[in-house]
Amino acid sequence: METRRPLGFLLITPLGLVLLAVFVAPIAMMLPTSFRHYGAGAAAAPGWTLENYTQIATDPYFHEVLARTFTMGALVTLVCLVVGYPLAYVVARSTGAARSWLTVLVVFPLLLNLVVRSFGWMSLLANHGLLNNLLMTLGLIHAPLHLMFNLTGLIIGLTHIYLPFMVLVLVAALQALPKDAEAASATLGAGPMKTFFLVTLPLTAPGMFAGSVLVFVLTISALVTPRLLGGPAYKVMATVIYDEFLSDLDWPSGAALAFVLTLIALLIVAGAGLLTRRWTAAQ
Amino acid sequence: MRDGPLPLTLKIVAGLILAFLMLPVLVVALASVSATAYLTVPPQGVTLRWFAQVLQDPNYLQAIGFSLELAIASTILAVLLAIPACYALHHRWLPFSEAISALVLSPLIFPAVVIGVALLQYVSMMGLRGNFVMLVLAHVVIVTPYVVRTALAGLAGFDPSLEEAARVLGATRLSAFGLVVLPGIRASLLAGFVFALITSFDEVPVTVFLLPPGQATLPVTIFSAIDLGVDPSIAAVSTLLIVATLILLVMVERMAGVRRII
Repeated sequence: METRRPLGFLLITPLGLVLLAVFVAPIAMMLPTSFRHYGAGAAAAPGWTLENYTQIATDPYFHEVLARTFTMGALVTLVCLVVGYPLAYVVARSTGAARSWLTVLVVFPLLLNLVVRSFGWMSLLANHGLLNNLLMTLGLIHAPLHLMFNLTGLIIGLTHIYLPFMVLVLVAALQALPKDAEAASATLGAGPMKTFFLVTLPLTAPGMFAGSVLVFVLTISALVTPRLLGGPAYKVMATVIYDEFLSDLDWPSGAALAFVLTLIALLIVAGAGLLTRRWTAAQ
Repeated sequence: MRDGPLPLTLKIVAGLILAFLMLPVLVVALASVSATAYLTVPPQGVTLRWFAQVLQDPNYLQAIGFSLELAIASTILAVLLAIPACYALHHRWLPFSEAISALVLSPLIFPAVVIGVALLQYVSMMGLRGNFVMLVLAHVVIVTPYVVRTALAGLAGFDPSLEEAARVLGATRLSAFGLVVLPGIRASLLAGFVFALITSFDEVPVTVFLLPPGQATLPVTIFSAIDLGVDPSIAAVSTLLIVATLILLVMVERMAGVRRII
């Protein structure tokens, strides 16, 4: 084992150098920027300050942005879980050709371009979009419903984007279920509903947890969909970071917000990992 | 998992959820052939005019070419860097293998917009703003985790005694790898390659900060076009992307099985 170390280092060095130069170094170099005073673009003013972080903690504007981001994350996660479970159950129980077709149908939207999918939802949800058009033609409503540039539109669009992730995690969890557990429950006289709620659901809880963590972290980091479906009115952390770097040119403030977002995402992933390890150790 | 037939209500619910997943795709496809700028019910006429408009628009054609160049360059580079690294990680030839794997895979959970703004500041400081090589390297960082994941899974499922047999029969480590291991894990590598290619082609939140002046990838071009207002040619170019994605997906399913890429 020891003797192979030089070869191991040789094999990993090229990838390691690229990661250091194009991933680790840029992130590390943004850290000092987040403690700078405001200066247009790259030209940060001299001196150091904690102001960029304290304003995120104290300014009501940032409170609103943070609250929006986490509300959006929590709601999308919840909807994905509720909507994803039945679909995952059907996929996990299917076999043969049906199984591969269902998998393809779940994976296809995942591979499809984000901008294209968001555009599809815009065509559906806009004031002159297909849905409002249909409802008005049918005479069900007289004025268009506001389905875009608000939380509703964001929840619909983001649920659509992250649902396949949730379904795939849940399918894996359902597949790992011991076959005997459900059969035993049925043998002991429990009906299908009772078996589901007392056996299947609790046994797949770790999978539900893993899927929820994944969807939550991806949702709070999303940029493209919130920008297209949230518009300029409904801003979340990722879109504020984008604007601070590209239009307001307040890089120090944007950098601080970027670190807050990263820290939250990494803490959630690390915390979830720790919990899962304890969970499996306890069993 | 239990066997046996599924209740009908459950099948209907699953069907509705799948319909929800396909809905925006269908709407885009319908809008691309609709004669009116906004989709109406009932649709008023069918036309292929928007496709003709896209295929004659130098902006879109340039963007498609640029996206392909970027995706192919970064995917090939990512595979070339990832394969040796995965081989070392798989054999645990390095101290802290776990930590190194975690670092390599971390761009997956890092908010992409943060990588984007960090790189924007980095290239500005180094005077490399708009540099194509930096953009390719940024894409390498983003797509490498997909290649690494599938390659490690492939290596884990590969019977090590085959490689040992080749060594015993006199093959060098390198030729045993090239002649036995690499062909043995080719389905995993192909799946990783295709997924990396699609990821790079579709990437927006990092790309948008690093584009050379006057050039844009296809998704960024569509993104900016939407910002300017909805126009039916967006639906047409989106439909072309939908069809291309579908063809790639069916190819992967035929050759390697979709399960491998996730």
